[in-house]
Amino acid sequence: MPFDTFSERLRLVADESLALCKREWGRNGVGIEIPISPKIGWQPTFYMKPSRVLMIAVEVGDRLFPDSLRGAAHDIEHYDFPIAVYQACALDIFQKDPGQARVNLLRERGIGIITVDDAGHSTIQTRAEPLAQHISREKLDSALTELTPKLKVKFRTAHTTYETNVGQGLQAASQIIEALIDCIAKQAEAAGVVAAGTSAKDAALIIDDLWAAGAFHNYRAVLGAARSFLREHRNPSSHPSETAKKEATRTRKCKTGFLESLRVALELRKIIKALDYKILIV
Amino acid sequence: MSDVLKEIAPSKIERNPDNPRIFFRDEEMDTLTASIRRYGIQVPITVYSEGSHFVLIDGERRWRCARKLNLKSMPALVRGKPSRLKNILLMFNIHALREQWDYLTIAHKLPDVIELFQKENSGREPTEAELSELTGLTRGQIRRCRFLLDLPKKYREILEEELALPKQFQKLSEDFFIEMERALKTVQHRVPSALNTLNSARDALITKFRNETIGNITDFRMLSKIATSVKRLGVRETKAREALQSIFDPHSKIGIEQVFAQQFEMKFDERKVILSADSIFDFLEQSLNDSSTTKISDQLRKSLSRLHRLIERFLKP
Repeated sequence: MPFDTFSERLRLVADESLALCKREWGRNGVGIEIPISPKIGWQPTFYMKPSRVLMIAVEVGDRLFPDSLRGAAHDIEHYDFPIAVYQACALDIFQKDPGQARVNLLRERGIGIITVDDAGHSTIQTRAEPLAQHISREKLDSALTELTPKLKVKFRTAHTTYETNVGQGLQAASQIIEALIDCIAKQAEAAGVVAAGTSAKDAALIIDDLWAAGAFHNYRAVLGAARSFLREHRNPSSHPSETAKKEATRTRKCKTGFLESLRVALELRKIIKALDYKILIV
Repeated sequence: MSDVLKEIAPSKIERNPDNPRIFFRDEEMDTLTASIRRYGIQVPITVYSEGSHFVLIDGERRWRCARKLNLKSMPALVRGKPSRLKNILLMFNIHALREQWDYLTIAHKLPDVIELFQKENSGREPTEAELSELTGLTRGQIRRCRFLLDLPKKYREILEEELALPKQFQKLSEDFFIEMERALKTVQHRVPSALNTLNSARDALITKFRNETIGNITDFRMLSKIATSVKRLGVRETKAREALQSIFDPHSKIGIEQVFAQQFEMKFDERKVILSADSIFDFLEQSLNDSSTTKISDQLRKSLSRLHRLIERFLKP
């Protein structure tokens, strides 16, 4: 009998959250109290495969963000199948979490929350994205600290897009980097540091021109990083891959790319500041 | 068959249907999971072999953690299959020596032990001492279990629900029910007219404890004192009855401590003072009669002088 190791109260939470997940994501590939893979050091209460590139795994329990989940986060992130993780608990437990401390830990880690009340009504309180994709708001905010307000807004918008479509989100981040390169090039042109017409070129070629200019000798490492970022992440696919393994790889690559864009933007901003240029992006 | 140490896949192990333990709180399990994740399973579980799988004798929490952590294998001592009575008693003794189960857990299983003992002993019921020896529990623990076992089903279910909750959400504990039942037993014995029905009294006390009209489970001892005050202090039965009935009234906001402090505490204190005064009187009289001990210490002399002055003031018309 499924969930027979639970108390009656937790069995209700397990039954109702499973029913909710079936309504939400269908009944494909449901596994109850069995491991997802030997590579993952965690056995969810149940999981399902709503599509060929996404798995939903749910942990039912009174203890929010249990140690088993904390310990398995790395395995889940690096598994060859994107997995979105939810914790299901009684509504009481969710509401009475002191200072919402453990609820916030779940949210920061990209883990969704399902609650079930005493009458058996289930609700998705927070939606999850695959752990391999997740960039928390906190991580984003800390990476944005030294950027200008305009760049912060741009990256936050890109992050919102990223949360629903990793490819499009990364594309939006790449466009910010391109805009920064363009902005540097236009001001370098005006200062006569590079030839007129440089800013009209493709971003990669602009970087080559800047790299060759004497005024940018001290910033070659940053320009190199920007060039390699654009080469790697300029045109990410916005569509899910054909297989789960490819999708997991694409998702991880997009996450790396998005985080890289934040680092590159910060370095480009330092060049702009050092050369007394202005950030002129629309 | 001697015990054999093996590495066994958790998926090949099954729960023991006779394991009395029914509550596995997530908070406690999480601590154990964290320890196992960091340091592994330090103490092998104990199982017996049955067909193609193994059945747990000891170590359900470790086994559950191993499953949660998706461990490939775990160390286990494999024993021969015990008889059902031996199986239960093994589990009792392991836990009596190590980690204490909830009393309700034990209470649920005691009738099985008694029944199996009877089968092996021509229908004779074990004495409390025999039960204590068999299970490794003290006689006091067995008596506490019996209080819970004697609870009507409805209240055992309330307690079960509470015990399944995380510790911070538990309001009613086993101790609450044990203290309440002891007090109600005293009331039933000493002032039975105060009880409409036992269950209505139970319901009122539970409600009042939940809404904090009764602040502490030790208040139930005052309830017993009120019931015994008729015989011990000569309180009129009608007074004790009315006091108890006001406590058992689910609609009143009257708690046990309030009633006891207002109507009975002084009488109990007086009784205590009388006993102390008698004791002082006896000591002094004996000291005066026995010439060898008439020399009392300065400290006692000082205390008696202070007491003497106060008594004179107190008794002055």
